[in-house]
Formats: sequence, C-alpha cells, structure tokens
Amino acid sequence: MSMSDKDDLLMMAVTDKHTQALRSGFSRWPGRGAPPPAMGDLRWPADLILATWAQAGTGAPPDGSEAHTHGHSEGGFDRLGFKWLPEAAQLEPGSEIDLAIPLNRRPVDPRIEIPVPWYGAGMSYGSVSEQVMLARAMAAEKWGTFTSTGEGGYPDSLLEYKDHVITQVATGMFGVREATLKAARIIEFKYAQGAKPGLGGHLLGDKATVSVAKMRQSVPWVSLFSPFPFHSVYSVEDHRKHVDWAKTINPDALVSIKVSTPTDVDMVAVGSYFAGAHILHIDGSYGGTGAAPEIAKKNIAMPIEFAIPKVHRYLLSEGIRDEITVMASGGIRTAHDIAKAIALGADGVILGTSELVAMGCTRCSNCERGRGCPFGLTTTDPELSLLIDPAWGAERVSNLYSAFAQELSTILRKLGLSKVSELRGRTDLLTYLPHKAGVNHVH
Amino acid sequence: MSFKRYHIPVAPAPNSAPHPHRFNVNVSKVGLASLLIREIFHYRGDMNAVLSRPCMYGVFSGPVGGFAPRADNCVGCLRCTVQYPDMVRVEPNPDRLELGDSYFTPDNVDTVLYEAATGRVPVKGAGYRGRYGGPGWDGMWTDMSEIVRPTRDGIHGREFISTQIDIGEHPAWLRFDEVDDSDGSRWRVIRLPLPMLFDRLPDSLLSGGWEAALLDAAGSLETLAIVPWKALREMSSAPSALVPLVAPADVDQLLEVTWRPRMVEMVGWDAEVFARLRSAWPECVVAVRIPFGDPIDEPLEFGCRTFHLVADYHGRTSSGFVLGAIRHVHDALVERGIREQTTLIGSGGLTAAEHVPKAIIAGLDGVALDTPLMVALQGRFRGECRTAESCHVEMPNVERTWAVQRLVNLMGSWRDQMLEILGAMGLREVRRLRGEVGRAMFQADLEQEAFGEIEGYVHV
Repeated sequence: MSMSDKDDLLMMAVTDKHTQALRSGFSRWPGRGAPPPAMGDLRWPADLILATWAQAGTGAPPDGSEAHTHGHSEGGFDRLGFKWLPEAAQLEPGSEIDLAIPLNRRPVDPRIEIPVPWYGAGMSYGSVSEQVMLARAMAAEKWGTFTSTGEGGYPDSLLEYKDHVITQVATGMFGVREATLKAARIIEFKYAQGAKPGLGGHLLGDKATVSVAKMRQSVPWVSLFSPFPFHSVYSVEDHRKHVDWAKTINPDALVSIKVSTPTDVDMVAVGSYFAGAHILHIDGSYGGTGAAPEIAKKNIAMPIEFAIPKVHRYLLSEGIRDEITVMASGGIRTAHDIAKAIALGADGVILGTSELVAMGCTRCSNCERGRGCPFGLTTTDPELSLLIDPAWGAERVSNLYSAFAQELSTILRKLGLSKVSELRGRTDLLTYLPHKAGVNHVH
Repeated sequence: MSFKRYHIPVAPAPNSAPHPHRFNVNVSKVGLASLLIREIFHYRGDMNAVLSRPCMYGVFSGPVGGFAPRADNCVGCLRCTVQYPDMVRVEPNPDRLELGDSYFTPDNVDTVLYEAATGRVPVKGAGYRGRYGGPGWDGMWTDMSEIVRPTRDGIHGREFISTQIDIGEHPAWLRFDEVDDSDGSRWRVIRLPLPMLFDRLPDSLLSGGWEAALLDAAGSLETLAIVPWKALREMSSAPSALVPLVAPADVDQLLEVTWRPRMVEMVGWDAEVFARLRSAWPECVVAVRIPFGDPIDEPLEFGCRTFHLVADYHGRTSSGFVLGAIRHVHDALVERGIREQTTLIGSGGLTAAEHVPKAIIAGLDGVALDTPLMVALQGRFRGECRTAESCHVEMPNVERTWAVQRLVNLMGSWRDQMLEILGAMGLREVRRLRGEVGRAMFQADLEQEAFGEIEGYVHV
C-alpha cells in the first residue's frame, strides 16, 4: 500500500469518526433538556438552534414547545404574533393548504411556480463547500424549489440540478460564464447583501483555495474583493441594460434583483420593476454572511421586518404589486417568521442560515477564521468539507422544509386561510406582542 | 502644495496584561480515558485516528490533549461538546462579566481590545447576534445606497473618503474695513484629519503619566488631546496635540506659560476668562466645556463658537440620552442660522466605533473619546465608571510606546469602520455627514411606519 493510499485511509477513518460523533450529537442534544451553556444568541437562542436540529432530524415541528417559533431579540418578528381564529372557525386539521407561489407575475416569460413559498439563498463556492452547495441543490430539487449559487461560480456537479439552481451575477463577476447563464431558469443580479450593505464582498485569502480560485478565474490564496457597486450602473436605465443583457443570453430566464434595505428601498423596488425584474429580492440587515464587518451587520440599513411593508405598500400604490414577486430574506429563521414576512407583504422568503443550522451550524461566527467552519459548512478545506455528505445534508435540509411546510400549513389553517397567497399583506392578522423581560445573554 | 493621503500606522500591539478568555472548557477525565480505550480497540491501535481531536483551534493541542484543555484557545464553536455531549462542557467564562460596567459591556470591552491590539476592523461570520435595535445608539441605523459611491476609483471607493473636520470658528463671510483689512472676523480653525479627539482622563489617573501617552498618540494621529491644567504645570513646551483644560481660577497661571497651544478649553462658561484668553492668544481656538443641556446663549452672544458638550460616561444628560441631546443643540443652532459658524464636540457614552458616525449624524462635528481610551490600554473599571470625578480605573504597568500604539490602533480601526459607514452611503467626506439625519433611520419611526396598523402596537 502506498503512502498516499494510507493517508487516504486515515482521512476516511478520521472523517468517519468525527462525522458519526457529530451526527450523534445533532440527534442527542435536542432531547437532553438543557442546551449547551455557551450556545445561542438573542437572534438564535440555543433552544431555537436545537429545535431546528430536531426538525432537520425528524421532518416535523416539535410538539409541545414554542422554542422553534421565535428568538429573543425583543423586536421585529420576535414581537409579532398571530390573531388566531376561534377553534371553531379554523380550517379542519388535514384540510388542503396551497403553499405555492408564482415567481413570474408578468404576462410574459416562462411561468415558474414553487410549491413552497421559499427558496435557498445565495452562498458562493468558496464561502461554503461544494458538498454544502450540492446538499442544498438536492433538497431544492426534491421540493421543486430553488437554491442559488451566490457569487463564486457554478461547480459542474450542480449541473445535474440546474433546473433548481439560480445563478448569481454580482459585482465581481466571479465565475460568471455564458454556459451557466444559459443553463439557469433564474438569473439573480446581486446589487447588495443585507449583512454588509454597500460594502461589497470579500473572500479571505485562506478560503481562496486552488479549486475556488480556478472557479473564480483568479489566483489561489489571494483575497478576492467583489467591489460595490456594479460599476456600470448609475440609474434605472443602466439597471435595465443588465436585465436586457441577461435576457439576450438566455431569453427564457427569469431575472431576480437582490438589493439591500436602504431608506429608499421602496423606490429601489419600483426601479427594479421598471428595469424588468421578475423577482425583487430584498435582503435585510440582520441576514447571514460568511464574513462581514460587525459594524455593518448591526448598523447599516434596516432589518427586513421594516422593509417588507414599505416595499409592499409602495408597489401597491404604484399599481404594480401583482406584476412582481417580492422575496424577503435576512433573518428568516422559522416557519413563523415565514408567515410573518408574508403577512407583512412579501410573496415568499429566502432561507440561508436556517439551512446551515439544519446541517449543524451552531452560529459560532467563526466562518471566516482560519480553515473555516469547524462543522464543514462554510469552508473549502479539503478535510473539513468532508464532514458534510451531500446526501445527508440534503436530507437534513429537506426535513427542515417538511417541518416548515407542516407548520406553515397549521398557521394558515388557524388563520382560516387555504392558500399562502391569501396571507400576503394581511397585517390585520398580526398582533404586536408586549415586551418580555428576561432574555438570554449574548456570549 | 503637495498631496498627502492621511494614513494611520497601525501595528500589532497584543494585550499586555492578562485578559479573561471567553470560555471555560471542562472535560470529564474518566469519560475521555474510557473513550480513548474504546477507540484504541476500534481503530486497532491506529493512534492517528484515535488522537484526532474535534478542535481546530488548539484547545486539545497540549501534550495531554483533553486532559488539560487550553481554554484560552477556545472560540466557542462548540464542536467538541456537540460531538461528545456527556464528556465536554463549554461555558461562558464568568470572569468576563467583571469587564467594563453596566454601560461598557464585556462584549464591548472585548471589541475595543481587539481593535487596540490589531488596528483592524472586527470581522466575523454569520449574521448579527444581538438585540433587535434597542435603546440609545442601538435604535438608529445608518443608510446605504444601492448605486451611489464616494468615487468609482479604487476597490470600493472608500480609499478616497475624507475624514477631515474643522475645529474652531469660521465666519459666514469675510468683512473688510476701509483699508481692505479684515475687521477681525477671522478664521480660527484647526483642521484635524479625523473627527476624533482624546478627552481628559478621569481624576484618578491624572498623576499616572498617562497624558504623555495620550499626547504622543494624538500627535501621531494629528489630532488633539484635552489635558487638565494640573497635569501640565511642569510642561516646558506644548506638543501640537495639546489642548489645555483650564478652570477660571487657573487661567492666570496658564497665561504665564511660554508655549502657545492651538486650542484651549475652558471648564464652564466665564465671559471674562473668554475675553482674556481671546485677547492674550488671538490665534488660539477657545472652546468652552459645558454639560449637554446647559444654555449656550450667553457664550454665543460673546462670540464663542466652539463648544465641547459633555454627557457622563454612560451617555446621560440632564435631558436624557446623549443622542437626543446632540440633536437638540444642533437643531437649535441651525434654527438660529449659525450652525455653519459653530463647532460642536461631544463626549460621553461613545464606547464603540459605530457611535462616532451616529453622533456626527445627530449633529456633532467631532467627538472627544474617554472611556474607550482607558479600555484600549487594558484599564479595568472598579465599579461603575460614570464620571471623570468618581470613576476608578485600574491601569496596568505598560510601556509608553505600547500605550501609544494601542491608541493609534484603536483610532485606525474606528476610522476604517467610519469609512465603511460613509462608503455604504456614498459620502465622500465626513463633514457632509454632520446633522444629516436623513442618512439615518430611527427604530421608533420605522416601527411606527411598519407596525402602526398592527393591533397592540403602541408608538414610543
């Protein structure tokens, strides 16, 4: 046996040892009664992380607990509740609930409908491993929805799932190729990201491995900046040129515009509509990231809960609300958050962090440090990334989707609605909850 | 005239005094021993597999691995405890709770220490972890633009943002007498390359020689350090960064010195003292230091145009939190039509990088920092640190060069973070940020707009 074979065997043994131990931990911790004392934060308390692990393990919402419904941040979704109908007026348990939403509301271009009101957020190859991208794509295929490449190229292994993969074009144009644009049913232009609005992207040198650099057509181990903004866009008309360019390459693709949440996000929404977008993706400031300045995450741009009604009402007042699909992201953690976002005015939502939590993320915030995520998620380290087997990851994400779909259906039944589209903009079905004393500390 | 791009020379300056690590790591020795024995059999003695540890950060990297974990390496990823729930327990280190005080929180202290040690912008993965908005500074978000940049040059354009401010008084227009000489409506302006000054240290530190480090650092940064007169008596020359802080009773002594400061700060308003200083040192900027909420009408009438408004270290003023107090005084000056001729410096409650641009948005020209300087030097608060007169800070024994570098690093990091904020807005200079509340979003307003129709919502 050669040295190389021995090394491979050792790596397999080590990977297997840690993978089995981790999976055992993911299933044991939710039932242990007390969470790890250092786990969690106000947005994602330990109970919510463990409840997400439980849902990713079972495919069903947890019984008899509300831990999986909200965080402890004292604002936004965590201060909103629902005005349930009296039990007699609720829809019968088991009654059919339609969770589908259309992604193209314009009279032209292909009809694309997703059976659940969410799809997966952009996470680039480099910020996450190929295994994680594959896991998300497999789950998207299973559910008939989408996941997004983020800005880092389109690994060949994703081509098998191309009907469920959104390809992203962002300011660095990393990995953008005509072939992948042609393969995509949806092309997403990323103008800004909620966690670092107005700052552009930055892949640290440690993560720009040989394969990542090859995909991005750059130099290995050199930091990559995705400069903000698009240097070719100064106006709605320039914006329109981008859409035209994408439609010239792939006339059948829908175009999504991803923006952050500035004061004038409502104007940005209208501009995106007139530029020809089918989907407006608004990404709130409390959203996830592989790495971002702390000052940006906390302070720049508004959280998504404020942006959704602002955009929804303005599009209504302009008479174009039913011609564009509004997808919201940036802190959507639970099925309850999904329902609240839709009640505030979104058509659907985009999930990122919750999918990673389903695959074992503890929200430790060390994604960018050294070799990357110790759980094999936000890393391209060849050893660490083996901790995620794509089929296992897909099952976890798919189970979470299943739990979310069941929970969302229950919410709709209790509100007397048989279609998720009937919930859109129904702030009259929400209540604002009083302040709760005593919240967890951030470690 | 040659162009010089302002640059802050940050360099590593690791903590000098011990600092409590974030987490404690406890491993069951019996459990670990039994696991090792099981794995030796399972992996047939392949010790590479047996000894492969679930930590990338070196917590179990010592000679006896998990039997003596190195908790100071722990970053709280929790992989070890996830893998081995019955064997490893990671918990927050209770010693950290003693850092700072009720306003300057332990997390805040950790951040400032990182900034002072590295001069870098704190960057982390995953999304925001804290409270949704909140009181004080936290109830304010800054704006961004989807397409507007300070410039399209450079990677992000922020390399070209100016953080220069003017301290002093500049008349709205020049006036000339019969012989075309200016009639006294002169410019008295000090240009600083960053909107951050160093405020006076608390009384308990005035005899420790810390002013020298502050002055050196301020000089290196080309900014100013405010130093109480009693710490200056022996000084034979005035560093360019020095701003003497004098009480009316000490002005006679101050005017006897042979050196000339660029700026003097009076403790409280005194028309006679102001007139004497103006007369003796006509080129000097004379500022008055008064608490937020005190009237400034009289100083304005006497021609004083530079104010250092002070809240306590927790940002409290007689009229509430300092953010509202800044907006009030700025708006009042705008209303009187003299805001452009006036300089407002503010202190108190500014403990994080984001507070500086927020204070400028509220209406300040610049800030004078206090408690973050002490924390950057690894000062430990003993009890609540509320005022310069009452707070007790225990400082470590350190080299002056180390102290200077820490302060330079802190300013380098905070300036870079300000550039992030300005860059996101598309602003090219910090002076344009002053009083631009349209560049901010306030939680109360946003909630009212978004949730006003929702049952149970009460506008605060």
